Amino acid sequence: MAKDMTLWWGSGSPPCWRVLIALEEKNLQGYNQKLLSFEKGEHKSKEVMDVNPRGQLPAFKFGDIVINESYGACFFLESKFKSQGTKLIPDCAGSDNNCALIALIMQRVFEGNTLHQKMADVFMYNRRVPENERHESAFKRLKETLTTELQMWEGHLKKTPGGFLAGENFSMADVIVFPSVALLLRMGLSEDKYPKLAEYYKKLQGRPSVKATWPPTWKETPGQELLKDI
Amino acid sequence: MAKDMTLLWGSGSPPCWRIMIALEEKNLQGYNQKQLYFEKGEHKSKEVMEINPRGQLPAFKCGDKIINESCGVCFFLESKYKSQGTKLIPDCDAEQALMFQRVFEVNTFGDKMGNVIYYNWKVPEGERHDSAIKRNKEALTAEVKLWEGYLQKTSGGFLAGKNFSLADVIVFPAIAYLYRFGLSEERYPKLTEYYKNLMNRPSIKATWPPTWKETPGQDILKDI
Repeated sequence: MAKDMTLWWGSGSPPCWRVLIALEEKNLQGYNQKLLSFEKGEHKSKEVMDVNPRGQLPAFKFGDIVINESYGACFFLESKFKSQGTKLIPDCAGSDNNCALIALIMQRVFEGNTLHQKMADVFMYNRRVPENERHESAFKRLKETLTTELQMWEGHLKKTPGGFLAGENFSMADVIVFPSVALLLRMGLSEDKYPKLAEYYKKLQGRPSVKATWPPTWKETPGQELLKDI
Repeated sequence: MAKDMTLLWGSGSPPCWRIMIALEEKNLQGYNQKQLYFEKGEHKSKEVMEINPRGQLPAFKCGDKIINESCGVCFFLESKYKSQGTKLIPDCDAEQALMFQRVFEVNTFGDKMGNVIYYNWKVPEGERHDSAIKRNKEALTAEVKLWEGYLQKTSGGFLAGKNFSLADVIVFPAIAYLYRFGLSEERYPKLTEYYKNLMNRPSIKATWPPTWKETPGQDILKDI
């Protein structure tokens, strides 16, 4: 079980953190893991490339099975270990309430992709775009796009009572999206401008699976201020 | 049931097409649907915005449940209608894991394709660079070669092995899009074989983009 699993991960990376949280929630502690450093280029090492030819983290193996997509690993773990740990996606059959819940979970899970992309477009701008191709106008537009996106999520949280993204219970939506929200705050997002997001962040910070997997580098160094004006 | 469902869609859009294939595979024909036109800006119409505040297609309602994310709808339909139509999530661990891997790789595939095909639409004139266009083409070439490799290594004819699965529902429309925009059939024989096989699948024939039957494709991707 857990001892047949290996996860290669980087501290603070939301895709990696999603898998770490999922493993905790499904009571799969005891998996093999290796913390690597993006700054040192370790995601392009032979060790990672052997598992993930894309040279990206997370890289995840379970016996002969390899899944290097964070959503894929989370969905697979929920499917295979459905009956243990926290139920991250309810069963639909026979329950209309559960069907409505699954619909909302799926909507938020997949919107999580859009959120993460728009965040990454801003904080990875200088890393992705060569200097001679950068434009203030482009960067400004990316920041505006992120602002609109965050206002949408602030709205989602206002409209959904219960404290979690899909209502009263922790679900796959939180596994997937919380790490991105945490990174936003780590990068200086204003708690005053986004009170519901800040409240959500503080609530989930206390959850055992989140505490157990809190990025080690975040405990050692202060965050940044890149997003303070978003 | 199908009559409680409504899909607002655009012809050829891979996210829309995924849902249409899934509905066919799960024997949910008879759903309400409306074809809209991106060119006319109908994706930003009030009708769409009321279901999808993002002003994007697909927009999907099942009773009062709304899901506007194509993969979300596909997973939802497979969950709710697990016992009817085609089984889209394999039981076997290895096949299921591979299915999940391929499903979620579709995002990066779609992005790289969009960065080439829609470069001028996405990037204002004053911000365009030949170096960026070149880099985007190289990235797409590398991505397409990766998928060619996947099909070489995976026997069975489908993306996750010997059975049609959610991986095919979700990825096939993106692959078809490549060919619509001129991908060389000779350069990517396994992809082409996959494309031609799946073209004949009933759910895919039934949902083939109507505008693709009416007009020729483009050749933007002929050098990829």
